Amino acid sequence: RYVLCEVVSEDPRCRQCIEDRALGLAVRDAIARVHGDYGLACCSISFTVKYLNAYTGTVLLRCRKDSYRLLCSALPFVRYLESRAQRYPCFLNTLHVGGTIRTCQKFLIQYNRTQLLRLLQNCKNEEERQCIQKSLLSCSLTEEQSQSGDEEEDDGTE
Amino acid sequence: RRELPDGGVRPNAAQFKQLVVTALRELHGEVGAALPVDVLTYEEKTLSAILRVISSGLVKLWSALTLLGFYQNRRCAFRVLQTSPFLLALSGNSRELVL
Repeated sequence: RYVLCEVVSEDPRCRQCIEDRALGLAVRDAIARVHGDYGLACCSISFTVKYLNAYTGTVLLRCRKDSYRLLCSALPFVRYLESRAQRYPCFLNTLHVGGTIRTCQKFLIQYNRTQLLRLLQNCKNEEERQCIQKSLLSCSLTEEQSQSGDEEEDDGTE
Repeated sequence: RRELPDGGVRPNAAQFKQLVVTALRELHGEVGAALPVDVLTYEEKTLSAILRVISSGLVKLWSALTLLGFYQNRRCAFRVLQTSPFLLALSGNSRELVL
């Protein structure tokens, strides 16, 4: 099973320090606290951080089908990320649970589209609006690489 | 019914319950420690007790007690003598019934 989550944090420095090892350790630590030795062993059999996007804070975790419930129930207990001897308070929002990476990617594309629209509506002044619209229009979809064109749409915002 | 062989200090009822909850917390985390376990009777002389747990938690409780090895730095072991859904059945061992 693949679990798609989003790291939400008030501290802007936290975004730059999101890395896969730190996040993996934080999640494993939370599982150990909530479900003990048995849960930790159960979920760590094939647990990896598959994808990480530091700009938007999107994380894709992978685990076994039998133990994904343990993982999902332990995710709200991740309260801080630790990296380079600094702790950043944050929390994880679960966005989507899927069976394959492809379904998660489809969901992520849809989600990013709705987020872009929402961000556009929340723009306070006209300048920001113009800026965002210009950067969106400059992302072009070429015919042979439509996948990377969709991903460029993700990075065009922030 | 559980029997606990030990070398030295004998726990009282509260310490026994603490021991059980600690075992659950080590193996099954906070979820395990939150499992409602009741100590119905406890005999300090023989160090045996009757525990009550919800039927879905029996596996967790039994596995946690089996894997608990130490009490106050002394080796100890839990031996489960009998389990049954009825309290009356624990009063005698039906296999040794002499008719």
